[in-house]
Amino acid sequence: MRDPVCKNRNPIKSAICCDPPIKIKGFMKTVLQSRMRFACLVVLITGVLTVLMAPTSQAIALEDLRTRLPGEISGWKAEPEDRIFDQKTIFSYINGGAEVYRAYNMWQCLSRRYTKADGPAIILDIFDMGSADDAFGVFTHDTDGKMIDIGQDARFRSGWLSFWQHRYFVSIYAEEETASAENAVIALGRAVAGGIPQKGTRPDILRKLPAEGLKSESIRYLHHPVILNYHFYLSDENILNLSADTRAALASYQLGNESARLLLISYPDQDAAKKSRDRFLKQYLPDADQTGMARLEDGKWAAASLKNRLLAVVLEADSRQMAQNLLRTF
Amino acid sequence: MTAKNRIITRRDFLRTGSCVVMGGLMGLPVLSKASAGKTQKSRVVLIRDGGVVDGTHLQDRLLEQMLDEAVSTLLDEPDVRLAWKQLVRPTDIVGIKSNGWSPLPTPAALETAIETRLKLAGVKEQNISIDDRGIQRNPVFKNATALINTRPMRTHHWSGLGTLLKNYIMFVSQPWAYHGNACERLATIWQTPPVKGKTRLNILVMLTPLFHGVGPHHFSQRYIWPYGGLIVSTDPVAADATGARIIQSKRNEFFGEDRPISPPPRHIEAADIKFGLGNSHPERIDLIKIGWQKDLLI
Repeated sequence: MRDPVCKNRNPIKSAICCDPPIKIKGFMKTVLQSRMRFACLVVLITGVLTVLMAPTSQAIALEDLRTRLPGEISGWKAEPEDRIFDQKTIFSYINGGAEVYRAYNMWQCLSRRYTKADGPAIILDIFDMGSADDAFGVFTHDTDGKMIDIGQDARFRSGWLSFWQHRYFVSIYAEEETASAENAVIALGRAVAGGIPQKGTRPDILRKLPAEGLKSESIRYLHHPVILNYHFYLSDENILNLSADTRAALASYQLGNESARLLLISYPDQDAAKKSRDRFLKQYLPDADQTGMARLEDGKWAAASLKNRLLAVVLEADSRQMAQNLLRTF
Repeated sequence: MTAKNRIITRRDFLRTGSCVVMGGLMGLPVLSKASAGKTQKSRVVLIRDGGVVDGTHLQDRLLEQMLDEAVSTLLDEPDVRLAWKQLVRPTDIVGIKSNGWSPLPTPAALETAIETRLKLAGVKEQNISIDDRGIQRNPVFKNATALINTRPMRTHHWSGLGTLLKNYIMFVSQPWAYHGNACERLATIWQTPPVKGKTRLNILVMLTPLFHGVGPHHFSQRYIWPYGGLIVSTDPVAADATGARIIQSKRNEFFGEDRPISPPPRHIEAADIKFGLGNSHPERIDLIKIGWQKDLLI
């Protein structure tokens, strides 16, 4: 909708375009001028908020977090210069692994190095993922290690701590493992988490995973085919039409001696979900029966089921019965 | 749907076990002749020196000696110059495909040693180039008639192992298109025009291999060790398979349990069984071990 007062929608120019006085007499003049000023003020505030909501606001937020990071932890001192990477420059920092962060829409990464004369360097990387969903998602990409109480979920293994909180995914590792370095890594993790006052919520789609037999540590949240293919290779092409607009959860199930992998995908609308289901059946399960179920070449079962805009795909199940059980709720 | 447009899915990999079928699916001719040939054993030379890794430094002279001894052994030619003349012609345009991954690059001393030996074999200096990420813009690589492939072995986030096979991924414009199923189709890159039939020698650097990776950077000093080796072969699959066995042994030794490389480096066996590029199974590899024998792991 066009601004009724100022044709120029640039918030800064909006303030200027209202400056020339409009000659209206008497009371009406006062009222209109007052309303004009109010309207300009609204436009200005809206514009400023719009600017703040843009990606650059994340830079400020990450910058805020940076100021809360400790300059020293357990004898390790922060090097003078932090480094900031964006979606393009991140490849120069972490090479091919950067694709993981891009697949989760990483906005920025702040890297800080802590050093100590008689200890290994400790590397702190804070990834601003832009949303709690994606911070959680990138955390679930690698769930090895023991759980530890830092942030909203954390894992610690071999000198590497990873956790997520709010829209941040945090990685801290010591270049060599020593007892004191491990303690410092954990202490630094707690300090970073303490500097993030907000908490995020886990992706809604996780609540739709059937509870019975769910191996909670196996849950992955994703919306990019490259991540799906990493955890479960499906196809060289994006036959499920995964995109930034889709939300997907991948999980393993164990019921008795039988196991299965289930993928749930929430599409923007029912039509998109139906098209994706049809494409999947055509290209991956052309031999599916009327219930959308087929036996794979390795003897396992695969199936797809659609409910509104939610597509449930059993990627593999040890038996037809198990596949049916998983899809029963959809 | 034409063969060229055929979508490759996991089910194709499940149902196919032969290179003939996969080659057809990919729209690619089956590799008829690998560098080592599928009908004979592949010769692989593993050479080690306990002194080549000196703390955080390399002993360049020892590294050169290792290279010379390995190439001479591989080609049964004691004269280094004549050995290299078996690999390249003076008229060749030679790209040395290196690897610049900053935590563990191909050592500059090895790159220089290879270049020197190419010149010794008569290749003109202007017809030699060492490159990694710039190869698609590099005029020597664009016009190359021969390639020397060298890189350190390391574990890798997408492919399980960073291998000689994977080192050619920079020849394609969309590397991520090969990430499916732990990069199983990497061998198909070797069938593309900039590469096909050009590789004369593969040198897998095992001086300080990375046997495990953690974190976004997939690197930790904790997971490298001074193995002090080079693996040299004309068959990249056989060289990679040999290196993979060493990495797996090191992981088992280090972790005190069977700790498979993750994701499994399927591309090595696939390069053999599905794409016919070389030999991956030990019984089809003639492994010659020379030099330092301590903690050989294979």
